[in-house]
Amino acid sequence: MSRIIACYKWVADEADMKINPDMSVDLSKAKGKISDYDRNVIEAAVQMAKISGDLAVTLTFGSPKAKLSLKDALSRGPAEGFWVNSEMAEQADGAASAKVLAAAIDKIGDYKLIICGEGASDTFARQVGPSIAARLGIPCVSSAIKMELSGNEVKVSRKLEDGIEIVAAQLPAVVCILPEINRPPIPGLKAVLDAGKKPTREYKIEELGLLDSDLGARNETIEFKAYVMNRKNIVLDGETAVDKVQALVGSLKKEGII
Amino acid sequence: MGEENQFDAVVVGAGPAGLACAYLLAKAGKAVLIIERGDAPGAKNVTGGRIYAYALNLLDQELLEDAAWERKVSHEEIMIIDGKRSITIDYHDPSLTEGDQSIQSYTVLRAVFDQWMAGKAEEVGAMLVCGIRVDDLIQREGRVVGVIAGEDEIYAEMVIAADGVNSIMAQKAGLISDLKKETVGVGVKEVIELPAKTIEERFKLSQNEGSARMILGCTQGIHGGGFLYTNRESISLGCVFMPQEIVQHGQQVHDIFQELKMHPAIYPLIQDGKTVEYSAHLVSEAGLRGMPAQLYKEGLLLVGDSAGLVINTGYSIRGMDLAILSGIAAARAILGENDRSKIGPAYLAEMEKICLLPTMRLSDGYTQLLDIPRIYSNYPQLAIGVMQRLYKVDGQIPQNLKKQVMEAIDESGLTLWQMIKDGFKGVRSI
Repeated sequence: MSRIIACYKWVADEADMKINPDMSVDLSKAKGKISDYDRNVIEAAVQMAKISGDLAVTLTFGSPKAKLSLKDALSRGPAEGFWVNSEMAEQADGAASAKVLAAAIDKIGDYKLIICGEGASDTFARQVGPSIAARLGIPCVSSAIKMELSGNEVKVSRKLEDGIEIVAAQLPAVVCILPEINRPPIPGLKAVLDAGKKPTREYKIEELGLLDSDLGARNETIEFKAYVMNRKNIVLDGETAVDKVQALVGSLKKEGII
Repeated sequence: MGEENQFDAVVVGAGPAGLACAYLLAKAGKAVLIIERGDAPGAKNVTGGRIYAYALNLLDQELLEDAAWERKVSHEEIMIIDGKRSITIDYHDPSLTEGDQSIQSYTVLRAVFDQWMAGKAEEVGAMLVCGIRVDDLIQREGRVVGVIAGEDEIYAEMVIAADGVNSIMAQKAGLISDLKKETVGVGVKEVIELPAKTIEERFKLSQNEGSARMILGCTQGIHGGGFLYTNRESISLGCVFMPQEIVQHGQQVHDIFQELKMHPAIYPLIQDGKTVEYSAHLVSEAGLRGMPAQLYKEGLLLVGDSAGLVINTGYSIRGMDLAILSGIAAARAILGENDRSKIGPAYLAEMEKICLLPTMRLSDGYTQLLDIPRIYSNYPQLAIGVMQRLYKVDGQIPQNLKKQVMEAIDESGLTLWQMIKDGFKGVRSI
């Protein structure tokens, strides 16, 4: 029995985000949550493990605040939760996160499949999955909307702009998934209660053979601002419903939406 | 704890009543599970926002010391509105912010307060699960033995229904039927954010001081009233109405509330504020008469709003403190009685001892008084009319006071006979 590792990110809940009058963004009151897309990641790992008889586990790189995520993640079905605890996670970019996660995956060992979200719901930089694969020297398949394990391979349907591509990759592999791959259920009462009893494992950066100085972000966020999209306030006139619909279609075409 | 029972107690609802009970049970070493429907404690309720500190003190003195409150209430205000005119009476006692904490009251924001209280219950060992709705009770031979949430069944020695007004648990247990329209009000509330300094200036508060205001005459003659509480950096402003009267008047709750917000005596208080929360909820309004005839069934106790424990005197509203008292009484009954069939009666006895039921009985008169429809339009109009005449200096020969008052009575549409009757009822009921 090998491990199927679901990587997730603990992000600020955008619902609690506040925009100040000068358009700066206040996240000080925002609670944390598992990135929306990563709920699909955890569900995908659980589903795959159920079919293949492997062990679904979760892995996150986060600050001490991310401790809250472990129970939430495990209530979604995986058997064990791994957490690399470091303040450095707050400013880590994709490269640094991938470095840490790859080292943790190496440490966890005996993995068959790594599942990541196509991007995180806060930055959506789409770097972590491919970077982990590069560091581990294993294949990476992105934009997955369906996957299947068969023998020593994973068969993945990739959603492209104008079609579906089906590819096969040697295991172990990293698969980055799109949210349409599944619909993660809301954990039930027993699942939540069981989550508290499941094993969790915390790693420090040093245990992974890394130093804080290895994790400096190469991208620095200089400014984080909101933008306003003004409503166009167009009222469509027309005698009949047909007229109105035609006016709407015309208007949407003019805007380049359809 | 029996083989089948996973918990000594399951508490449905993480509000003050359920959390008080869970806290005491867990502290006494019981295995307690709290199930909350909202994503976090305090997420689902709507409350004006004042808690009386004595109740927390009774629960645990240590808790009182770091309670998550907003401001200490030292201004008790009554506001009477008629049209654009208003009278505000402000009783200020600065000593209420210092010294004996157990006679103080605090304004609270429930999203903050309930989470703090839940944290305390978890610290002493209670287990809290949020985002789960309990759908039903498991009942065997007339006894409640657990709860059902989705596909999961959880068994417990005792279930505590702390799921608020219109309690689903109490309904499933057959202790209450569908709500009667005259026993509940509809409450709407906005939390309006303002800088602490602005609030202190507008309400003439020193730091930490707060005001609690009841507003009469703001409901366009409908049985109901308004409230305003100052929090640290926000104002809770709301209205409660009797729903069937709103329908009869053909009005919208939202419109009446908007009019209150725009009232010349209210608007300057909330001006430039930002509404950060808008909510609506049922409010138990009937006092003693709104309480279920039975507050327990074997294996089940009703606490807080589920038990209809709300007192509205017209000059203040109490709910959270009564909720905590009922939670304490429930915990004491469970801890003090081993025979499960005797816990229910023991709960009632504890409620007597903690002065909860006597208080409910005493307040019943207020409910009768507040049933007088004239309280919501004619009397506010009369008070304002008298004031208007009292302060009017226009160079004409002033009329004597008695004549002015009689004029104001005429204008308000009241008759002397009605006033005598209402006055008699008032004295008798209080």
